[in-house]
Amino acid sequence: MKLKMLAIAGGLLAATALSTAGAKADVKIGLLGGVSGPIAAMAPAMIDAAQLAISQVNDQGGILDGETLVGVVGDSACNPQGGTDAATKAVNIEGVTAIVGPHCSGAVLAAAGSVTVPAGVTMVTPSGTSPEITGLDDNGMVFRTVPSDDYQGRALARTLREQGYEKVAVAYINNDYGTGLANAFKGEFEAQGGQIAGFAAHEDGKASYRSNLADLSSGGADTLVIFDYGDGTGLTILRQALENGFFERFVGGDGMKSDAVINELGTENLADYFASSPVGEASNALDTFNAAFTAVGGDPDAIFVTTSYDAAFMLALAIEKAGGDKAKVAESLREISNGEGEAILPGEWAKAKKLIDEGKAIDYKGAAGDHNFDVNGDVPGTFALFEVGAEGYEVVTNMK
Amino acid sequence: MDFLELVNFYIIPGLVIGSIYALGAVGITLVFAILRYAHLAHGDLATLGAFLALAVVTGFGISPLAALPIAILGTAAVAVGIDKVFYEHLRERPKIVTVMASLGIALMVRAVVQVIWGVDSESYVKGIVRPDVYFGLRIRDREIYTVIAMIALVGVLQVFLTQSKWGKAMRAMSDNPNLALLSGIDNKKVVMLTWIIAGGLCAAAGVFLGINTELKSMMGWNMLLPMFAAAILGGVGRVEGAVLGGLIVGVAEELSVLVLPSEYKAATAFAILLFMLLVRPTGLLRGKVL
Repeated sequence: MKLKMLAIAGGLLAATALSTAGAKADVKIGLLGGVSGPIAAMAPAMIDAAQLAISQVNDQGGILDGETLVGVVGDSACNPQGGTDAATKAVNIEGVTAIVGPHCSGAVLAAAGSVTVPAGVTMVTPSGTSPEITGLDDNGMVFRTVPSDDYQGRALARTLREQGYEKVAVAYINNDYGTGLANAFKGEFEAQGGQIAGFAAHEDGKASYRSNLADLSSGGADTLVIFDYGDGTGLTILRQALENGFFERFVGGDGMKSDAVINELGTENLADYFASSPVGEASNALDTFNAAFTAVGGDPDAIFVTTSYDAAFMLALAIEKAGGDKAKVAESLREISNGEGEAILPGEWAKAKKLIDEGKAIDYKGAAGDHNFDVNGDVPGTFALFEVGAEGYEVVTNMK
Repeated sequence: MDFLELVNFYIIPGLVIGSIYALGAVGITLVFAILRYAHLAHGDLATLGAFLALAVVTGFGISPLAALPIAILGTAAVAVGIDKVFYEHLRERPKIVTVMASLGIALMVRAVVQVIWGVDSESYVKGIVRPDVYFGLRIRDREIYTVIAMIALVGVLQVFLTQSKWGKAMRAMSDNPNLALLSGIDNKKVVMLTWIIAGGLCAAAGVFLGINTELKSMMGWNMLLPMFAAAILGGVGRVEGAVLGGLIVGVAEELSVLVLPSEYKAATAFAILLFMLLVRPTGLLRGKVL
């Protein structure tokens, strides 16, 4: 009986496989994100934004010879093992042409080093911000649409100095993201004449950080700078610091700009809490994206949605330009956005495809910026400092 | 650093988290003593208990402490169910098979939690609670509940084990299974009882962790290593040893920040575990099993 059922199930499976094989082959790109793990609250909006780019491509005639572009979602869990597993599955089983993601720096470094670079698959991370990624030995195959934390850390340090912060303590999560951001911040803050009165890494997932906080506050700082994830350990640290009155003011990096912080701690307790994050410069491209993303029910102010969208749309353009050849995607990615050629705004797939088919140069102007990659595949960026207001995060000042 | 600061920011958090470890470690030690294997799904059962309580708290609008008994009953039922469906078939096989199976159960339980409640951080009560000050000691009310509840639960368990007929049967199974079976003790009932107690204590550990911090789908898994360290430190098979071990591991983790860089805090439990296995594998109170 069991065998019979298995045979029937197998037959059905084969039948569906056959029926799809008859249609045109799809072009797949991997969408690897931290669906579970410490950035789980941010990941869905980011993946939705990438899916928006994919659906625009398909609505406007599809990719290459009218083929369908398919986004294959994988969970990189925001850690190196998860990133490697998800990338392996995307590259070896799904056979993706390129990858958007993974979301976290540690996952990017691990996936690039062990899977995508050896396999020759181009990867564009919308949120892997560690300075480590800049120096990665990647044969030019790893890009990002988000600026390095080297910029963010230094911009945050300068902004805090301008606002009169003298003495701060820094708590950072012990991974590639936290370490890179914290070191960039520390260097610039001290160079600007500020004092770092406590500087300590912490491990993820402990229940109490009060001893860490007591240790950090013993240096006499009145401000705690947290480089962690607001949906993970960063939330625990912020809660325990607020409850015990260790510090008067709190400043977070982009990872801390999570709605979980507001939802769990309450707006009324966060009057002295600020968070920095990359922002799109006001532009036509950004407005176009905002309108399109709002139309599909997305929140255009959610973190990293612009970079996620750009990463997916640019990869689609690059795949089109490369004629679907995996090996040429990286090269094409630079060509479609090098400041030369006709400007392409978010969503202008049909126009871009026509120009590419005619062999003309195009220059993508993304929602998050122009994305003219430098030799390391990095982009410069703009940042703003946010506070918590009645409507969620509100801009306090732009950071330079 | 003065004495009050040491107590407020190192000893008290250590004792609170230690009490939570202790609740889990008692369950681990009981399973080890009676069924003779390391149960790796213990942490994720605690997660399940915490989220069951969350469902009750949000569903009926009652306090997490009032939801605790329901979470305990629910998790105990799940633990018994898992034993019946999975572990029972493996009883006659080498123990390592069950240990590996329990790792699979851990992943399954976590996946169920993630499917039902999602992967975001949750809390029973939104907002923050500042501690009250008693004679210079900064203590939150929930921290007092946590320690008292741990002592009460373990106290009741200890009385049950030493005084009642079924408690004695459990101890007999732990001391000598063959002799216990020969003298007419119902093996199946003892196993079921063990899982009811272990599951219930898991739920209590999870709920108190959730009350003191946040609920996350990885919360229990992250506690697994310290709980095992506590059980082995105290002596496997000794309930009072697991409590002592839990408190020591909790306080040692917090105090480690004073001498080690704080990123090594998570490794403290592991270091204690290795050290005890090397120096005194029977544990502080001379465990009966290892």
